[in-house]
Order: sequence, then structure tokens, then C-alpha cells
Amino acid sequence: MEKDTLILSFESSCDETSVAVIKNGKEILSNIIATQIKSHQRFGGVVPEVASRHHVEEVTKCINLALDEAKVGYEDLNAVAVTYGPGLVGSLLIGIMAAKTVAFAHDLPLIKVNHLAGHIYSANFVTELQYPFMALLVSGGHTELVLVTAPGEFHTLGDTRDDAVGEAYDKIGRVLGINYPAGKKVDQMAAIGKDTFDFPRAMVQEDNLDFSFSGLKSAFINTVHHADQIHEELNKDDLAASFQGAVLDILSNKTFRALKEHPVKQLIVGGGVSANQGLRKRLADEIAKRHLDMELVFPPLRLCGDNAAMIGAMAQIQYDKNDFADLDLNADPSLDFDME
Amino acid sequence: MKILAFDTSNKPLTVAVVEDGKVLAHYESTEKKTHSITILPDIKKALEKANLTVNDIDLIAVAKGPGSYTGVRIAVTVAKVLADTLSKKLVGVSSLELLAANGDKAHILVPLMDARNDNAFAGVYQNSRDKFVSIIGDHHTSMEKLFDALKEYNEDQLEFINATPRLQELIQNQFPNAKIITSDNSLPDAAKLAQLAETKKPVTDIDDFVPTYLRLTQAEHDWYAKGNKDDGNVSYVEEV
Repeated sequence: MEKDTLILSFESSCDETSVAVIKNGKEILSNIIATQIKSHQRFGGVVPEVASRHHVEEVTKCINLALDEAKVGYEDLNAVAVTYGPGLVGSLLIGIMAAKTVAFAHDLPLIKVNHLAGHIYSANFVTELQYPFMALLVSGGHTELVLVTAPGEFHTLGDTRDDAVGEAYDKIGRVLGINYPAGKKVDQMAAIGKDTFDFPRAMVQEDNLDFSFSGLKSAFINTVHHADQIHEELNKDDLAASFQGAVLDILSNKTFRALKEHPVKQLIVGGGVSANQGLRKRLADEIAKRHLDMELVFPPLRLCGDNAAMIGAMAQIQYDKNDFADLDLNADPSLDFDME
Repeated sequence: MKILAFDTSNKPLTVAVVEDGKVLAHYESTEKKTHSITILPDIKKALEKANLTVNDIDLIAVAKGPGSYTGVRIAVTVAKVLADTLSKKLVGVSSLELLAANGDKAHILVPLMDARNDNAFAGVYQNSRDKFVSIIGDHHTSMEKLFDALKEYNEDQLEFINATPRLQELIQNQFPNAKIITSDNSLPDAAKLAQLAETKKPVTDIDDFVPTYLRLTQAEHDWYAKGNKDDGNVSYVEEV
């Protein structure tokens, strides 16, 4: 029997400090997440300097909780892994410095993990991945279609040209008087309302796999502002449903276009917006409607947002390939798959 | 006692390993390299040169700020994680006090960190029986207010430390006879940091150890300025 691998993993790319202990890339022994949402809600969005300060406050507490909950000590670990990008540079640096320090202090190999790869490999805790598979990454910072041809082999097929989908939710949420992060509330309102405003579905006619949400966002904001000027009351649930209707059309259109070009057995959805109930239903309905023999995989809600467990899942693949980093590792705030 | 000391609170990076007052290894870098890249390799090199492993160290000393926010966070994060993960003692020393250690012990020492727009992080220190006593605590101030506070001292006694060219100009206008050590000639020295750390109590709760920023973030400042108040029942960060 092969020996188990335990990886202590760190994630601090935005407003969550997370430390996890992952066994063999498949089993979560602990996954501590300290979220700063309540802090940034004071300002209506994530403030990078505030986020960096909170990470320093939380980091040792998270490490010790993660080890305690996993009931392991440093001597049981095989490696230390950390998100090194993309993300906010000041935030990334705290996780990186902490991970490098633990690796140095205990003479453990260090693994640098792409945050986006982590989101994709959240699925590793849900199902047995079959290559190649398609991944739709939807979050506050990213909207991407990625074909994964082998463990750790990523090919970006489409990317957002402007706003990320989660960012668009937060921006229209602000217009509706919903504080950041607005996604969950908009999703709930959309479930009640009707798609009556017929907002534009950007780029669905175009023959590529890229996304755009800024036109939709502007159309939404203009509609609300115009109504305000003429003192007309718009139904907020219908506004939310109309916005989400357009978002789901765009995401679904591009995803199934990609799947037509690259037929696969699994569609993995990851990132904060993968918690969206409307999106979960829509993709399932589309697969049924098209009679596709394809498994649709969403992470459990706890693993949709940023977390270190997913970093440990990806790190295991790199561990198996002896893909290790040095103590001079730095943050790469605009890292993407093509750069590696 | 074996001490590992380091400071990244400003442009220079300094690392030292000191045993019972004897400097075993000492690295200083003024090159504009990124501290996040170099600090751990430099700590590793310093320990190797001292023929020690990190486990042999008894105490970790770090300059805790004020200074560059990101810079201070880098050293403080390494120090707190290292102390926590290896159960070592940790001492944080004011980055300004560390600069004061570059001055003449007979003088009234005014270490500075240029905070732009004729503002600075500043403290006022006096050396008494080989200990630095803070006369005016470290704070963020306009140079004008700082000069007002210093008027009660004999100008010849004043020594400004770590003045950038702009701060030097302002000081010379106000106190032409004061001594000034420019930022080029006032590099923080981790060997002195180790020495200072020996005079101080170790941190009691490592989890709570954070940089001394001396300033709120702009966002928080603006939020309080609007009349907002913290709700004592709300924790801004929560485990979920």
C-alpha cells in the first residue's frame, strides 16, 4: 500500500485567510476559513490594505486550528502548498510568507499553486475526475472556460473581456441597494422575479468563447437610473431576474459552444458564483435538454468560495510530479494558465 | 542566548544572527530587491554562516514598524509564523527605535520615516544607561508639528536620523545646527536589533502580534470620519 501524503495548504488571495490539511489530494482533514466579509462590508467592497492587515491577524490562528482539527503535527506533513496568484498582491504575500516560513522551519517541500487551478480541483473532493474535462470558472475575479486534458494540464478556451461575472453581480447589487457580496441575494430575488427587461446578451452571436459583462451591467444601471429620473418604481425582483437571465444565457451559450467543440464526460463548475442556484439549475436543464451523457459537478457550497482545501487538491498533483518551488517564491497577482 | 533578528520595514533589508552579544552572521542589502523574495533565502544564508539551524535559535527579533506597510508585514509575518511554528520567543522592536540606535547616545534622537507630503513617522528617544527611553512616542506627524514639539530642546542636542533629502531640507531650515544623519547613512542594523530585543519582554500572545502601522487605512479613516462606530458585538473577521 502506498504511503499517505499530507499537505498543509494556504490560501490568502483576497478576503479569506484559509489553511487546510489535505490527505492524498482527496480527503479534507481540516479546512479553516476566516472570512473578512463583515469588515469589507463597511466599505462596500474589498479594500486591499484592510485585507492584508486582517491576513496577518489571522494567519497563525488558522495554521494551529487546521493542524488541531486534522489531529496532525508538523512531523506528519509531507509538503506545504500556497496560492501564489492571481489575486491581490498584499493579500497573496501573507499566505506566501507564512507557507515559505513553515516550509523552511520544518524542512518541507514548498508547492506554488495557481488559485484558478485550485478552484477547478475543488471537484476532486466530489467526484473521480476523468480527463479531458471542461471547467467553467465563475467568481468575483474570473470568468473562464478551461479544458483540462490531463492532471494539471490547463488550456484556456475563453476568458472575460471586461468584468468578471461575480464583479458584475456586486456592481448591479450596489444599484439595487444590496451590499457586497451581492450574488446570493440577487440569485434569491431572481428566483422570485421575471425576466421582463430583456437586457443585452453580449457576444453570444460571436464565434468565440470569450465573455463580456460590462454592456449588461451598463444597460442595467442605465435602466435603473432612467427610472429614478422619471420617478418610476421598477420591480427589483424582475430587475434581478432579468440580469440573471442574461448572465445565465451568456454563460450557458459559451459553455455549450465549448462543449460542442470539445466533447467531454465531465463539466466542472468552480468559483464563488458556482454557488448560484439559478446557474446550477440552468446547466443541469441544458444538459438534459441536449441529452448529453455528461456529469455536471458543482463543489459543495463551502468549497465554492476561496478555501485552502482546493489548493491542497491541486498541490497533490504537483507533489506527484515533483513540481516544487524555492524559498524565493513571490506573488504573481496577474497569473494565468498560459503563463506557467 | 542565540537571536535571529531581521527588519524589512523600509528599503534596506537586514538579517543577523547574534549569540550572547557576538555577531555570528550579518547581512545587509540596500539593493532595491523585493523583500518578499530575499528574506527567507537571506535568513537561511545567515544561519548557515553562523553554523546554526533555525531550531538552535532561542529568540526571534523583528522590527515591527512603523514603515512601509507591505514591508513591515513581510518581516512580521515571517517572525510570527517562525516563532509560532517552532515555539520560539518573539520580540518586536520599534523600527524607529532601531534607527535611533544609529545615533550618538549623548543626543536627543529623532528617528524618522518619510511618509510623503512633509509628513513622517517619528519618535523621540534618549539613551539612558544603555537603554533607549522614548520621550515622545512613535507617531505619524507633519514635520511642522514635530518641529514645534522639539523647540523645547537645545538645537545642538538634536540628532535627526534617516532623513530623506526633502526632510533634510525642512530640518535644516528649522534647526540649522542640529545633526542630521541622512537615509543613505542610516541603514537599520539587525545586529543592533538583536541587542535591543534582549532588553525587551517577549510577546505573550503570538497570534495577536501585528505590525505597528500607526495609521488607519484610508478606507477606515474615511469610514470613521463619516461618524460610523464599531459595534462591539461584531467581529470583522470570523471563522466560517
